[in-house]
Amino acid sequence: MSEVIVPKKKDSAMGAGVKRDYQGKEKAKRDAGAAAPDHPRNAYTSMFESFRDELDEHHDRRMRIGKVSRDVTALSKKIVRKLSQPIPERIQSEIDGRVKEIAELLETIQADVQGANRYRYPLICLEEFVEAVSFAHYLRHQTLMTPGEAQEALPADIRLTAPRLRLRHLRPHGRDDADDGGDDAKRTILADMQSVSSMLQISPTLGGKTNVFAKKLDIMIEQVRKVERLGYGVAVRGNERPKGWMPDLNEGFGGSDDIAMAD
Amino acid sequence: MASDNGSGMIDPAIFEYLKAHGEEEIEVGDKLHQITASLNRSISTCQGLLSRIHSTPSSKLAPLLKQVEETGIQPEIEGVGELAQFASKYPYYKYNHRWSRSVQNVVGTILLTAWLGGMGTESRPGELGRLLTIEEIGEILKVPVNLKDRDSFHVTIEEYLLALTDITEELSRLAMNSVTLGDVALTVRISSFIKDLFAGFQLLNLKNDIVRKRVDAVKYHVKKVEDVIYDLSLRNLLPKTE
Repeated sequence: MSEVIVPKKKDSAMGAGVKRDYQGKEKAKRDAGAAAPDHPRNAYTSMFESFRDELDEHHDRRMRIGKVSRDVTALSKKIVRKLSQPIPERIQSEIDGRVKEIAELLETIQADVQGANRYRYPLICLEEFVEAVSFAHYLRHQTLMTPGEAQEALPADIRLTAPRLRLRHLRPHGRDDADDGGDDAKRTILADMQSVSSMLQISPTLGGKTNVFAKKLDIMIEQVRKVERLGYGVAVRGNERPKGWMPDLNEGFGGSDDIAMAD
Repeated sequence: MASDNGSGMIDPAIFEYLKAHGEEEIEVGDKLHQITASLNRSISTCQGLLSRIHSTPSSKLAPLLKQVEETGIQPEIEGVGELAQFASKYPYYKYNHRWSRSVQNVVGTILLTAWLGGMGTESRPGELGRLLTIEEIGEILKVPVNLKDRDSFHVTIEEYLLALTDITEELSRLAMNSVTLGDVALTVRISSFIKDLFAGFQLLNLKNDIVRKRVDAVKYHVKKVEDVIYDLSLRNLLPKTE
């Protein structure tokens, strides 16, 4: 009763607390791996045990990939936010750092997504990543990145799949206008967006599991409309504005009287 | 405004690339639809035939199972073969959601037939209460199972497990009907089988997915059979255990 229990340092990495029974004595740790000895075995027990191991392996892999995917997504989004034209030295080095981080992250799951497993687990992060690199590519060269170039830009031996590449092309260009405001390069950006949009509308729609592509296509069309409206605003009233004026994307949405919209 | 598709901004190769991939996907989708539709027809036939077990006394079970094997399972095996041949040309997990349910149903019908004493071979005659392993299923369907070293058509562990939950449901129904048909021994047999399977399912560490959802339902199948056994024991109708 009176003995003092000194908590022993556990070697577990989690540093979780020690479980005690009602007397304060340490409870024997139950090993999750081995089935409890009193567990009755039957004809199918070993079969299910091997299934359990297989499924555990699959779930672990899925968790690992999910985690990396989230991190890469976050990094890619950060890159996109920082991009502007022209790309200053400081930003470029920051982007390089992030790409390096992405490379390290992807490295860890490279083995998990080889062969048949490539399509088994969702890797949406790659879409985000290609959005980032293809946006940068567009700012530098004013051309649309080809699938081959995108694959080269990917710092890991992971195969990009066709639909993935495609989805990505939609977003960066939907975003150009938001970031650049369609300033003096307005003519090109608008025309470029229009041609990307027509290209994607002409080529056959990809199904995918939940028809994501069709949804994104709708969003893209909307984005193009927005920029068309801006282009119109600049064309009509551009001369009345002071030099360097940028159209506000929110103009023309009902409340504003700046750009008269013939609805 | 003047720029058309040849604006120079888009490499025409991109357009070609997108078109080719999109078209391939549509073609594969159509063909898969056709194959699975015909496979699903065979499955319905087989399931329909198998549903007669609920009204067939055990003495007449053997000819029924024979019929199931010949006119139900045989076309299923052929359908799976056709599917395997086509699907192996493409990444497995890209399309497997298109046929996973069908394969699971095929496995389910085979498992049930075999458990009832069908699916016998020269080397191994069929016997009541025999659960085929996933490897034996693969041999019957002539496809690989649980492939890990290459990307090809196969039967997955998940599909096999889901098929097991299908047969516990069917057997829990049979447990009741076999009492009606006067075969109490079969009910007792089913009861112990389902309990063993349920114990097996409890060994799995399930995550929040379809397998968990279906395995959760197995306890109701167990309960259903237990209720029948309870009714029988209450009235002293259970066969004496020696």
